[in-house]
Amino acid sequence: MKINKVTSVIIEKWNDNSITDVFTTRRKIVNLVNSIFLMSLIIGLCFAILYPLIKLIPIVFNDVEDLGNPDVVWVPIKYSIISFKAAKRLVFGNGVTMLQSLLYSAVIAVIQIFVCAMAGYVLGRIKFKGNKIIMFLVILTFIVPPQSLLISQYLRFKQFDIFGIIKAMTGSPVDLINKPYTLYILSFFGFGVKQSLFVYIFRQFFKGLPGELEEAAMIDGCGFYQTYFRVALPNAVPAIMTVAILSFVWNYGDTYYTGYFNPEGPYLSIALTNTFMSSNVQNVLKALQTWYDKPGVTTLAFDAVKQAAALIYLIPLLVVYFLVQKKFVENFERSGIVG
Amino acid sequence: MQKKLTERKTIHISHATSQQLNGLVFLLPWIIGFLLFFLTPIINTIIYSFNEVGVADAGGMSFKYVGLENYINLFTTEVSSKSQQFLRVLIDENTNIFVNTPLIVLFSLFSAILVNMNFKGRGIVRVIFFMPIVLGLKVVVNLTMVSTGGDILEASLSSAFDDQMVIGFLTSYTFLPREVMVFIVGIVNNIFQVISQAGVQTLIFLAGLQSINPSLYEVAKIEGATPYEVFWKITLPILSNITLFAFVYTFVDLFLASSISSEIFRFAFNRNNIGIGSALSVVYMINVLIDLGLLLLILSKVVKLGYENK
Repeated sequence: MKINKVTSVIIEKWNDNSITDVFTTRRKIVNLVNSIFLMSLIIGLCFAILYPLIKLIPIVFNDVEDLGNPDVVWVPIKYSIISFKAAKRLVFGNGVTMLQSLLYSAVIAVIQIFVCAMAGYVLGRIKFKGNKIIMFLVILTFIVPPQSLLISQYLRFKQFDIFGIIKAMTGSPVDLINKPYTLYILSFFGFGVKQSLFVYIFRQFFKGLPGELEEAAMIDGCGFYQTYFRVALPNAVPAIMTVAILSFVWNYGDTYYTGYFNPEGPYLSIALTNTFMSSNVQNVLKALQTWYDKPGVTTLAFDAVKQAAALIYLIPLLVVYFLVQKKFVENFERSGIVG
Repeated sequence: MQKKLTERKTIHISHATSQQLNGLVFLLPWIIGFLLFFLTPIINTIIYSFNEVGVADAGGMSFKYVGLENYINLFTTEVSSKSQQFLRVLIDENTNIFVNTPLIVLFSLFSAILVNMNFKGRGIVRVIFFMPIVLGLKVVVNLTMVSTGGDILEASLSSAFDDQMVIGFLTSYTFLPREVMVFIVGIVNNIFQVISQAGVQTLIFLAGLQSINPSLYEVAKIEGATPYEVFWKITLPILSNITLFAFVYTFVDLFLASSISSEIFRFAFNRNNIGIGSALSVVYMINVLIDLGLLLLILSKVVKLGYENK
């Protein structure tokens, strides 16, 4: 309403200059004001979203001894990449850990897609007796926080046994804690990172898929498996993309499953959390002082190194994200999330 | 001919059964997982919570039934790693979650509507709006946070925009009471947490918005509905199921991020008190389920939900 008042005032003035087409002018002005408002809103929100990243840039490129200097806020006086060097030496080393983490997340993502797509297909597509009960259980497993099962799951993995079979065969139950394949087992059986959500996404997607294709495949003589692998799965690319990126990102950043079930595994998220614990501040500072001959470093330098490490950690995620964003961001009305 | 018909019939009968069998094969991993990693752990946790759990001589576990003692101890004598009473911790977590959930859902609905509009550079804006999926990871949030000393940027910003000054300014120019203003300023200060949790929900809402038939909007426009009416009469009712899903998702996500998990682990394995850790797990689980029931109750009063579509 206020905008209207303002515009009417403007229009009155314009009328004095003998502009006759009042309505077009008025609409133009309203549109202009609206779009300026919208643009500033969008740009502001984009800034707010990116602010945590933007805020890091001056800190990590600053000379570590200049941090805390009130004269230096946004533009460093002396540029240096010591924070990155230190982060690399402390956490990333020669990059093997990062490769292992990436590989781990990719493999887990593939496993999760494989298992969840199968379960989602049956739940959304096949006239399977007990569909409703299993769907209810899927939602239940999504709602119940995994933390409340932590102790019992941990103890189960500590002495893993399926109904006494393993004990009968080898004499004692196996210890699956700190074994790299534990997490793969967990994902294969549907209880990895937020896996119930993925089952739900696939179920919704397959439910919304038109049935004619599969009917045609059935009539042409495809069996159940052929129909699934040749017709249903290739048509599920939007859902697969959505699940793939979510699964990859969440597994790469996971500290819960990796931290409790395989704490000594080569996971970047765990390494970062351990290196930059608050009890480790003095060690990191000592490292800075001795490696780079910077006696004047303060705890702010610790933050700089930490944030440089965060940036390095984010690089592969951002690369993957930008590679797939076209498929991810556009045309996902059929990505299966819609209820 | 006769023979062929009977053959066909046998195939037809086995089709339904084979569908059932094949479905079972596809679901089998999940069902096994459910039994092994969900059902038995829940039952075991409940059993542990009523027992004093120790290590037996043979290497297994020994149980001594103690009734409700673990629960009573949890709330009377035990304290969290930040030496707070557990009742206090739970209350804090719950208030935090009940305040933040609607904020996050509203914010994500808002940003989904924004990026669903037509404007130049929409692709880039969408890419940025979904960045919280990556930037909101707990590890990243922890790493980018300033942990020690002062943040020089924050300091310079907060000296320019003093909270108290803003609150005073706003209360003197609006009719709202001071408490409301403090609350609002608190929310605004909290905006980064809200944003960092909103990535997936924005995605959900955008998918929902794009599934709405455009002809509905055309009809509304022809009938002369204002954008306000269009939003309340078309967009929101169609999104009600998705809103419910977004609420549940946000809720679960916030509970996942809470500090309880480290407390559970600390009790069970650092202090060798599996009983109390299990009691905490059970309390926590019940807490989540009750909260969720409450949330659904409130939502069903506020939004008319289309359950038949679920």
